[in-house]
Amino acid sequence: MGLRQYRAMVRKDIVRELRTRETVVAMLLFVVLAMVVFHYAFTVPGGGDLSLLTGGMLWVVFVFGALLGLNRTFAHEKDEGCFDGLLLCPVDRVTIFLAKMTANLVFLGLIQVIAVPLFALFFATGRMATHLPAFLALVVLADLGIAALGTLLATIAMHTRARELLLPIVFLPLVIPLLIAAASGTSAVLSGTAGSGSVLGRLAFLLVYDGVFLVLAYGTYDVAIGE
Amino acid sequence: MVGDGDTAVPEIRVEGLGKAFGRREVLRDVSFTVGRGGFLTLFGPNGAGKTTTLRLVATLLRPSSGSVAVAGYDLKDDPMPVRRAIGFISHNALLYRDLTAQENLRFYADMYGVADPGRRIGELLERVELSHRRYDVVSTYSKGMLQRLAIARALLHEPRVLLLDEPHSGLDPHAVEILDGLLGEIRAAHTFVMATHNLRQGLALADQVMILDAGRVVFSHVGRLAADEFAAVYHEHVREGALV
Repeated sequence: MGLRQYRAMVRKDIVRELRTRETVVAMLLFVVLAMVVFHYAFTVPGGGDLSLLTGGMLWVVFVFGALLGLNRTFAHEKDEGCFDGLLLCPVDRVTIFLAKMTANLVFLGLIQVIAVPLFALFFATGRMATHLPAFLALVVLADLGIAALGTLLATIAMHTRARELLLPIVFLPLVIPLLIAAASGTSAVLSGTAGSGSVLGRLAFLLVYDGVFLVLAYGTYDVAIGE
Repeated sequence: MVGDGDTAVPEIRVEGLGKAFGRREVLRDVSFTVGRGGFLTLFGPNGAGKTTTLRLVATLLRPSSGSVAVAGYDLKDDPMPVRRAIGFISHNALLYRDLTAQENLRFYADMYGVADPGRRIGELLERVELSHRRYDVVSTYSKGMLQRLAIARALLHEPRVLLLDEPHSGLDPHAVEILDGLLGEIRAAHTFVMATHNLRQGLALADQVMILDAGRVVFSHVGRLAADEFAAVYHEHVREGALV
Protein backbone atom coordinates (compact mmCIF):
# COMPACT_ATOMS: atom_id res chain seq x y z
CA MET A 1 0.00 0.00 0.00
CA GLY A 2 3.01 2.33 0.50
CA LEU A 3 3.42 3.02 -3.23
CA ARG A 4 -0.28 3.76 -3.66
CA GLN A 5 -0.19 6.19 -0.72
CA TYR A 6 3.00 7.80 -2.01
CA ARG A 7 1.47 8.33 -5.45
CA ALA A 8 -1.76 9.67 -3.93
CA MET A 9 0.11 12.28 -1.88
CA VAL A 10 2.32 13.41 -4.76
CA ARG A 11 -0.67 13.58 -7.13
CA LYS A 12 -2.69 15.54 -4.60
CA ASP A 13 0.07 18.14 -4.10
CA ILE A 14 0.61 18.51 -7.86
CA VAL A 15 -3.10 18.74 -8.72
CA ARG A 16 -3.56 21.30 -5.96
CA GLU A 17 -0.57 23.31 -7.22
CA LEU A 18 -1.79 23.19 -10.83
CA ARG A 19 -5.13 24.56 -9.62
CA THR A 20 -3.87 27.28 -7.28
CA ARG A 21 -0.41 28.02 -8.78
CA GLU A 22 0.52 29.63 -5.49
CA THR A 23 3.98 28.09 -5.06
CA VAL A 24 5.55 27.54 -8.48
CA VAL A 25 4.59 30.96 -9.84
CA ALA A 26 6.18 32.70 -6.84
CA MET A 27 9.31 30.56 -7.14
CA LEU A 28 9.58 31.19 -10.85
CA LEU A 29 9.08 34.93 -10.55
CA PHE A 30 11.74 35.11 -7.88
CA VAL A 31 14.25 33.07 -9.89
CA VAL A 32 13.71 35.04 -13.10
CA LEU A 33 13.87 38.40 -11.31
CA ALA A 34 17.01 37.40 -9.42
CA MET A 35 18.69 36.39 -12.69
CA VAL A 36 17.76 39.68 -14.31
CA VAL A 37 19.19 41.54 -11.30
CA PHE A 38 22.41 39.49 -11.41
CA HIS A 39 22.65 40.01 -15.16
CA TYR A 40 22.69 43.77 -14.80
CA ALA A 41 24.72 43.80 -11.57
CA PHE A 42 27.53 41.70 -13.05
CA THR A 43 27.65 43.04 -16.58
CA VAL A 44 31.26 43.90 -17.27
CA PRO A 45 32.05 46.54 -19.92
CA GLY A 46 33.74 44.84 -22.84
CA GLY A 47 32.22 41.46 -21.94
CA GLY A 48 34.58 39.81 -19.39
CA ASP A 49 34.56 36.08 -18.61
CA LEU A 50 32.00 35.47 -15.85
CA SER A 51 32.16 31.68 -15.97
CA LEU A 52 33.81 31.43 -12.53
CA LEU A 53 31.05 33.52 -10.93
CA THR A 54 27.97 32.28 -12.68
CA GLY A 55 27.87 28.84 -11.01
CA GLY A 56 27.58 30.55 -7.64
CA MET A 57 24.94 32.95 -8.95
CA LEU A 58 22.85 30.12 -10.35
CA TRP A 59 22.84 28.08 -7.16
CA VAL A 60 22.24 31.04 -4.85
CA VAL A 61 19.17 31.80 -6.96
CA PHE A 62 18.00 28.17 -6.90
CA VAL A 63 18.53 27.77 -3.15
CA PHE A 64 16.57 30.93 -2.31
CA GLY A 65 13.92 30.11 -4.89
CA ALA A 66 13.58 26.62 -3.42
CA LEU A 67 13.16 28.15 0.04
CA LEU A 68 9.95 29.83 -1.13
CA GLY A 69 8.52 26.45 -2.08
CA LEU A 70 9.88 24.59 0.95
CA ASN A 71 8.12 27.05 3.23
CA ARG A 72 4.84 25.94 1.63
CA THR A 73 5.53 22.20 2.06
CA PHE A 74 2.79 21.68 4.65
CA ALA A 75 1.18 25.13 4.37
CA HIS A 76 -2.12 23.96 2.90
CA GLU A 77 -2.34 21.01 5.30
CA LYS A 78 -1.87 23.40 8.23
CA ASP A 79 -3.98 26.26 6.86
CA GLU A 80 -6.89 24.07 5.78
CA GLY A 81 -6.73 21.84 8.86
CA CYS A 82 -5.96 18.73 6.81
CA PHE A 83 -2.81 17.82 8.67
CA ASP A 84 -4.80 15.71 11.15
CA GLY A 85 -6.40 13.93 8.19
CA LEU A 86 -2.94 13.00 6.91
CA LEU A 87 -1.74 11.81 10.32
CA LEU A 88 -4.89 9.72 10.81
CA CYS A 89 -4.10 7.68 7.70
CA PRO A 90 -2.36 4.33 8.19
CA VAL A 91 0.72 5.55 6.37
CA ASP A 92 4.35 5.21 7.34
CA ARG A 93 5.68 8.67 8.21
CA VAL A 94 8.67 8.11 5.91
CA THR A 95 6.23 7.72 3.00
CA ILE A 96 4.84 11.17 3.85
CA PHE A 97 8.41 12.52 3.80
CA LEU A 98 9.20 10.89 0.44
CA ALA A 99 5.97 12.20 -1.10
CA LYS A 100 6.50 15.73 0.16
CA MET A 101 10.14 15.62 -0.95
CA THR A 102 9.08 14.43 -4.41
CA ALA A 103 6.55 17.26 -4.74
CA ASN A 104 9.25 19.77 -3.73
CA LEU A 105 11.61 18.20 -6.27
CA VAL A 106 9.00 18.45 -9.02
CA PHE A 107 8.36 22.13 -8.27
CA LEU A 108 12.08 22.91 -8.17
CA GLY A 109 12.67 20.94 -11.38
CA LEU A 110 9.83 22.78 -13.07
CA ILE A 111 11.31 26.20 -12.41
CA GLN A 112 14.73 24.97 -13.49
CA VAL A 113 13.36 23.86 -16.85
CA ILE A 114 12.55 27.51 -17.50
CA ALA A 115 15.36 29.12 -15.51
CA VAL A 116 18.34 27.17 -16.90
CA PRO A 117 17.81 28.20 -20.57
CA LEU A 118 17.32 31.76 -19.34
CA PHE A 119 20.56 31.46 -17.39
CA ALA A 120 22.34 30.17 -20.49
CA LEU A 121 20.98 33.13 -22.42
CA PHE A 122 22.16 35.66 -19.83
CA PHE A 123 25.51 34.26 -18.73
CA ALA A 124 26.73 31.03 -20.19
CA THR A 125 28.68 30.25 -23.23
CA GLY A 126 28.19 27.17 -25.37
CA ARG A 127 30.19 25.15 -22.83
CA MET A 128 27.03 24.26 -20.93
CA ALA A 129 25.78 22.36 -23.97
CA THR A 130 29.14 20.64 -24.36
CA HIS A 131 29.09 19.35 -20.78
CA LEU A 132 25.33 18.89 -20.49
CA PRO A 133 25.43 15.40 -18.85
CA ALA A 134 27.79 16.64 -16.12
CA PHE A 135 25.66 19.73 -15.55
CA LEU A 136 22.43 17.71 -15.41
CA ALA A 137 23.99 15.27 -12.93
CA LEU A 138 24.94 18.24 -10.72
CA VAL A 139 21.41 19.64 -10.92
CA VAL A 140 19.75 16.31 -10.11
CA LEU A 141 21.96 15.55 -7.10
CA ALA A 142 21.88 19.11 -5.75
CA ASP A 143 18.09 19.27 -6.14
CA LEU A 144 17.74 15.99 -4.28
CA GLY A 145 19.82 17.34 -1.42
CA ILE A 146 17.89 20.63 -1.29
CA ALA A 147 14.57 18.77 -1.31
CA ALA A 148 15.63 16.17 1.30
CA LEU A 149 17.11 18.69 3.74
CA GLY A 150 14.42 21.28 3.06
CA THR A 151 11.50 18.88 3.48
CA LEU A 152 12.89 17.56 6.77
CA LEU A 153 13.46 21.06 8.16
CA ALA A 154 10.15 22.40 6.82
CA THR A 155 8.41 19.59 8.71
CA ILE A 156 10.15 20.54 11.94
CA ALA A 157 9.53 24.27 11.36
CA MET A 158 5.81 23.91 10.58
CA HIS A 159 4.96 23.41 14.24
CA THR A 160 6.40 26.79 15.16
CA ARG A 161 4.58 30.09 14.86
CA ALA A 162 7.40 31.78 12.95
CA ARG A 163 7.91 28.94 10.47
CA GLU A 164 8.61 31.29 7.55
CA LEU A 165 11.44 32.85 9.55
CA LEU A 166 12.76 29.70 11.18
CA LEU A 167 13.19 27.62 8.03
CA PRO A 168 15.78 29.89 6.33
CA ILE A 169 17.67 30.25 9.60
CA VAL A 170 18.13 26.50 9.99
CA PHE A 171 18.19 25.60 6.28
CA LEU A 172 20.81 28.02 4.95
CA PRO A 173 23.74 27.04 7.22
CA LEU A 174 23.13 23.35 6.50
CA VAL A 175 22.81 23.83 2.73
CA ILE A 176 26.17 25.67 2.44
CA PRO A 177 28.25 22.50 1.74
CA LEU A 178 25.81 21.56 -1.03
CA LEU A 179 25.90 25.10 -2.38
CA ILE A 180 29.71 25.07 -2.51
CA ALA A 181 29.82 21.71 -4.31
CA ALA A 182 27.06 22.57 -6.78
CA ALA A 183 28.38 26.08 -7.47
CA SER A 184 32.01 25.02 -7.96
CA GLY A 185 30.93 22.06 -10.08
CA THR A 186 28.79 24.30 -12.27
CA SER A 187 31.62 26.82 -12.57
CA ALA A 188 33.94 23.99 -13.63
CA VAL A 189 31.42 23.01 -16.31
CA LEU A 190 31.09 26.59 -17.52
CA SER A 191 34.83 27.31 -17.50
CA GLY A 192 35.51 24.18 -19.53
CA THR A 193 37.42 22.24 -16.85
CA ALA A 194 34.69 19.66 -16.32
CA GLY A 195 36.73 16.85 -17.74
CA SER A 196 39.50 17.20 -15.17
CA GLY A 197 37.78 15.09 -12.52
CA SER A 198 36.83 18.10 -10.43
CA VAL A 199 33.15 17.66 -11.32
CA LEU A 200 33.27 13.98 -10.45
CA GLY A 201 34.54 14.85 -6.98
CA ARG A 202 31.67 17.31 -6.49
CA LEU A 203 29.16 14.75 -7.72
CA ALA A 204 30.49 12.22 -5.23
CA PHE A 205 30.22 14.79 -2.44
CA LEU A 206 26.62 15.61 -3.41
CA LEU A 207 25.78 11.90 -3.46
CA VAL A 208 27.09 11.51 0.10
CA TYR A 209 25.32 14.70 1.20
CA ASP A 210 22.00 13.42 -0.21
CA GLY A 211 22.52 10.05 1.44
CA VAL A 212 23.20 11.62 4.84
CA PHE A 213 20.00 13.67 4.84
CA LEU A 214 17.86 10.90 3.40
CA VAL A 215 19.09 8.54 6.13
CA LEU A 216 18.61 11.27 8.75
CA ALA A 217 15.04 11.85 7.57
CA TYR A 218 14.36 8.10 7.56
CA GLY A 219 15.53 7.82 11.14
CA THR A 220 13.92 10.93 12.57
CA TYR A 221 10.79 11.71 10.55
CA ASP A 222 8.39 10.00 12.93
CA VAL A 223 9.54 12.41 15.65
CA ALA A 224 9.98 15.38 13.27
CA ILE A 225 6.39 15.23 12.07
CA GLY A 226 5.31 15.55 15.69
CA GLU A 227 1.82 15.20 17.10
CA MET B 1 -17.57 -0.37 32.47
CA VAL B 2 -18.77 -1.71 29.16
CA GLY B 3 -21.48 -0.56 26.78
CA ASP B 4 -24.49 -2.42 25.48
CA GLY B 5 -22.36 -3.91 22.72
CA ASP B 6 -20.55 -7.20 22.86
CA THR B 7 -19.11 -6.97 26.37
CA ALA B 8 -16.79 -9.92 25.84
CA VAL B 9 -14.90 -8.03 23.15
CA PRO B 10 -13.79 -4.57 24.26
CA GLU B 11 -13.34 -2.52 21.08
CA ILE B 12 -11.74 0.38 22.92
CA ARG B 13 -9.81 -0.04 26.14
CA VAL B 14 -8.29 3.02 27.81
CA GLU B 15 -6.35 2.60 31.05
CA GLY B 16 -4.87 5.33 33.23
CA LEU B 17 -4.58 7.68 30.28
CA GLY B 18 -2.74 10.94 30.94
CA LYS B 19 -1.49 13.77 28.77
CA ALA B 20 0.70 16.73 29.63
CA PHE B 21 1.81 19.55 27.33
CA GLY B 22 5.08 20.62 28.93
CA ARG B 23 4.27 21.07 32.60
CA ARG B 24 0.55 21.51 31.98
CA GLU B 25 -1.33 18.34 32.71
CA VAL B 26 -4.53 18.30 30.65
CA LEU B 27 -5.65 14.71 31.25
CA ARG B 28 -5.20 12.54 34.32
CA ASP B 29 -5.88 8.88 34.89
CA VAL B 30 -8.75 8.46 32.44
CA SER B 31 -9.97 4.89 32.05
CA PHE B 32 -12.91 3.41 30.17
CA THR B 33 -13.88 0.48 28.02
CA VAL B 34 -16.34 0.46 25.16
CA GLY B 35 -17.61 -2.89 23.95
CA ARG B 36 -18.05 -3.73 20.27
CA GLY B 37 -21.11 -1.85 19.01
CA GLY B 38 -21.14 0.41 22.07
CA PHE B 39 -21.66 4.19 22.06
CA LEU B 40 -19.90 6.30 24.66
CA THR B 41 -20.63 10.02 24.91
CA LEU B 42 -18.14 12.29 26.64
CA PHE B 43 -19.60 15.39 28.23
CA GLY B 44 -17.77 18.22 29.95
CA PRO B 45 -17.11 21.95 29.80
CA ASN B 46 -14.54 23.52 27.47
CA GLY B 47 -11.02 22.46 28.43
CA ALA B 48 -12.25 19.37 30.26
CA GLY B 49 -10.12 17.05 28.09
CA LYS B 50 -12.79 15.61 25.77
CA THR B 51 -11.00 16.49 22.54
CA THR B 52 -7.62 15.48 24.00
CA THR B 53 -9.07 12.07 24.90
CA LEU B 54 -10.40 11.59 21.37
CA ARG B 55 -7.13 12.76 19.81
CA LEU B 56 -5.18 10.33 21.97
CA VAL B 57 -7.41 7.42 20.96
CA ALA B 58 -7.13 8.53 17.31
CA THR B 59 -3.27 8.41 17.51
CA LEU B 60 -3.07 12.16 16.83
CA LEU B 61 -1.41 12.67 20.22
CA ARG B 62 1.03 10.49 22.13
CA PRO B 63 -0.03 9.61 25.68
CA SER B 64 2.17 10.82 28.53
CA SER B 65 0.97 7.91 30.64
CA GLY B 66 -1.44 5.00 30.44
CA SER B 67 -2.42 2.85 27.50
CA VAL B 68 -4.97 2.73 24.70
CA ALA B 69 -6.02 -0.32 22.71
CA VAL B 70 -8.41 -0.20 19.76
CA ALA B 71 -9.77 -3.29 18.00
CA GLY B 72 -7.34 -5.36 20.03
CA TYR B 73 -4.25 -3.42 18.97
CA ASP B 74 -2.14 -1.39 21.35
CA LEU B 75 -1.77 2.18 20.15
CA LYS B 76 1.87 2.48 21.22
CA ASP B 77 3.13 -0.82 19.79
CA ASP B 78 0.89 -1.13 16.77
CA PRO B 79 -0.48 2.24 15.60
CA MET B 80 -1.16 1.26 11.95
CA PRO B 81 -4.00 -1.23 12.59
CA VAL B 82 -5.43 1.26 15.11
CA ARG B 83 -5.48 3.96 12.41
CA ARG B 84 -7.10 1.54 9.97
CA ALA B 85 -9.81 0.78 12.52
CA ILE B 86 -10.68 4.42 13.21
CA GLY B 87 -12.82 6.98 11.42
CA PHE B 88 -12.58 10.49 12.83
CA ILE B 89 -15.18 13.21 12.46
CA SER B 90 -14.60 16.61 14.04
CA HIS B 91 -15.93 20.12 13.51
CA ASN B 92 -12.98 20.48 11.12
CA ALA B 93 -13.78 18.54 7.93
CA LEU B 94 -10.14 17.49 7.20
CA LEU B 95 -10.74 18.10 3.50
CA TYR B 96 -8.61 19.94 0.94
CA ARG B 97 -10.52 23.04 -0.11
CA ASP B 98 -8.93 23.29 -3.56
CA LEU B 99 -9.78 19.72 -4.52
CA THR B 100 -13.18 18.43 -5.57
CA ALA B 101 -15.22 16.04 -3.41
CA GLN B 102 -14.28 13.23 -5.80
CA GLU B 103 -10.55 14.11 -5.58
CA ASN B 104 -10.65 14.39 -1.79
CA LEU B 105 -12.35 11.02 -1.37
CA ARG B 106 -10.09 9.40 -3.97
CA PHE B 107 -7.06 10.71 -2.07
CA TYR B 108 -8.27 9.27 1.23
CA ALA B 109 -9.35 6.01 -0.46
CA ASP B 110 -5.80 5.57 -1.72
CA MET B 111 -4.35 6.47 1.65
CA TYR B 112 -6.49 3.80 3.35
CA GLY B 113 -6.03 1.25 0.57
CA VAL B 114 -9.76 1.03 -0.18
CA ALA B 115 -10.58 -1.69 -2.72
CA ASP B 116 -12.70 -0.57 -5.68
CA PRO B 117 -12.56 3.13 -4.67
CA GLY B 118 -14.78 4.34 -7.53
CA ARG B 119 -17.74 2.22 -6.41
CA ARG B 120 -17.24 3.04 -2.71
CA ILE B 121 -16.96 6.80 -3.37
CA GLY B 122 -20.10 6.78 -5.53
CA GLU B 123 -21.99 4.84 -2.88
CA LEU B 124 -20.99 7.21 -0.07
CA LEU B 125 -21.63 10.40 -2.05
CA GLU B 126 -25.10 9.05 -2.81
CA ARG B 127 -25.63 8.35 0.87
CA VAL B 128 -24.65 11.86 1.99
CA GLU B 129 -26.66 13.41 -0.88
CA LEU B 130 -23.66 15.02 -2.58
CA SER B 131 -23.46 13.08 -5.85
CA HIS B 132 -24.58 16.14 -7.81
CA ARG B 133 -21.64 18.16 -6.40
CA ARG B 134 -18.91 15.54 -6.67
CA TYR B 135 -16.87 17.48 -9.26
CA ASP B 136 -17.11 20.84 -7.47
CA VAL B 137 -14.17 22.08 -5.43
CA VAL B 138 -14.84 21.80 -1.73
CA SER B 139 -14.26 25.54 -1.12
CA THR B 140 -17.67 26.14 -2.73
CA TYR B 141 -19.49 23.91 -0.19
CA SER B 142 -21.59 25.13 2.71
CA LYS B 143 -20.67 24.08 6.26
CA GLY B 144 -23.41 21.45 6.26
CA MET B 145 -22.24 19.98 2.95
CA LEU B 146 -18.66 19.96 4.19
CA GLN B 147 -19.68 18.03 7.27
CA ARG B 148 -21.61 15.50 5.17
CA LEU B 149 -18.56 15.04 2.97
CA ALA B 150 -16.45 14.68 6.13
CA ILE B 151 -18.75 11.82 7.18
CA ALA B 152 -18.23 10.17 3.79
CA ARG B 153 -14.47 10.62 4.25
CA ALA B 154 -14.56 9.04 7.69
CA LEU B 155 -16.66 6.06 6.53
CA LEU B 156 -14.69 5.47 3.32
CA HIS B 157 -12.47 2.70 4.67
CA GLU B 158 -15.30 1.06 6.63
CA PRO B 159 -13.81 1.70 10.06
CA ARG B 160 -14.90 -0.34 13.07
CA VAL B 161 -14.67 2.62 15.42
CA LEU B 162 -15.95 6.15 14.86
CA LEU B 163 -14.66 9.03 16.95
CA LEU B 164 -16.86 12.12 16.80
CA ASP B 165 -15.60 15.42 18.17
CA GLU B 166 -18.46 17.92 18.36
CA PRO B 167 -19.79 16.71 15.01
CA HIS B 168 -22.88 18.95 15.18
CA SER B 169 -20.87 22.11 15.76
CA GLY B 170 -21.83 24.94 13.38
CA LEU B 171 -24.43 22.90 11.46
CA ASP B 172 -27.81 24.23 10.41
CA PRO B 173 -30.92 22.23 11.50
CA HIS B 174 -31.19 20.43 8.13
CA ALA B 175 -27.55 19.34 8.26
CA VAL B 176 -28.03 18.20 11.88
CA GLU B 177 -31.02 16.15 10.73
CA ILE B 178 -28.98 14.49 7.97
CA LEU B 179 -26.05 13.85 10.32
CA ASP B 180 -28.29 12.32 13.01
CA GLY B 181 -30.05 10.23 10.36
CA LEU B 182 -26.71 8.93 9.12
CA LEU B 183 -25.46 8.20 12.62
CA GLY B 184 -28.69 6.34 13.34
CA GLU B 185 -28.25 4.30 10.14
CA ILE B 186 -24.69 3.26 10.90
CA ARG B 187 -25.14 2.99 14.65
CA ALA B 188 -25.41 -0.80 14.76
CA ALA B 189 -22.34 -1.47 12.64
CA HIS B 190 -19.82 0.64 14.52
CA THR B 191 -18.43 1.45 17.93
CA PHE B 192 -18.65 5.14 18.80
CA VAL B 193 -17.06 7.65 21.11
CA MET B 194 -18.55 11.13 20.80
CA ALA B 195 -17.60 14.36 22.58
CA THR B 196 -20.34 16.95 22.77
CA HIS B 197 -21.96 19.74 24.78
CA ASN B 198 -25.36 18.87 23.36
CA LEU B 199 -27.49 16.96 25.85
CA ARG B 200 -30.14 15.71 23.43
CA GLN B 201 -27.72 14.65 20.70
CA GLY B 202 -25.28 13.22 23.21
CA LEU B 203 -27.84 11.01 24.90
CA ALA B 204 -29.85 10.03 21.82
CA LEU B 205 -27.64 7.13 20.76
CA ALA B 206 -25.41 6.63 23.79
CA ASP B 207 -25.49 3.54 25.92
CA GLN B 208 -22.69 4.82 28.09
CA VAL B 209 -21.85 8.34 29.31
CA MET B 210 -18.89 9.95 30.97
CA ILE B 211 -18.35 13.46 32.32
CA LEU B 212 -14.88 14.95 32.27
CA ASP B 213 -13.90 18.05 34.18
CA ALA B 214 -10.41 19.56 34.43
CA GLY B 215 -8.90 16.48 32.79
CA ARG B 216 -10.48 13.93 35.15
CA VAL B 217 -13.42 11.59 34.99
CA VAL B 218 -15.95 12.95 37.47
CA PHE B 219 -18.87 10.73 36.51
CA SER B 220 -19.43 7.64 34.42
CA HIS B 221 -22.47 5.52 33.84
CA VAL B 222 -23.25 2.47 31.76
CA GLY B 223 -26.76 2.31 30.37
CA ARG B 224 -29.22 4.88 29.14
CA LEU B 225 -30.10 7.98 31.16
CA ALA B 226 -33.06 10.34 30.89
CA ALA B 227 -32.12 13.88 29.87
CA ASP B 228 -33.47 15.49 33.07
CA GLU B 229 -31.75 12.98 35.25
CA PHE B 230 -28.44 13.44 33.43
CA ALA B 231 -28.66 17.25 33.47
CA ALA B 232 -29.01 17.16 37.27
CA VAL B 233 -26.00 14.85 37.55
CA TYR B 234 -23.99 17.09 35.22
CA HIS B 235 -24.64 20.22 37.24
CA GLU B 236 -23.82 18.39 40.44
CA HIS B 237 -20.36 17.47 39.11
CA VAL B 238 -19.45 20.38 36.85
CA ARG B 239 -19.34 23.91 38.24
CA GLU B 240 -18.60 25.88 35.09
CA GLY B 241 -20.07 25.59 31.60
CA ALA B 242 -23.53 24.52 30.62
CA LEU B 243 -25.11 21.85 28.47
CA VAL B 244 -26.98 22.93 25.38
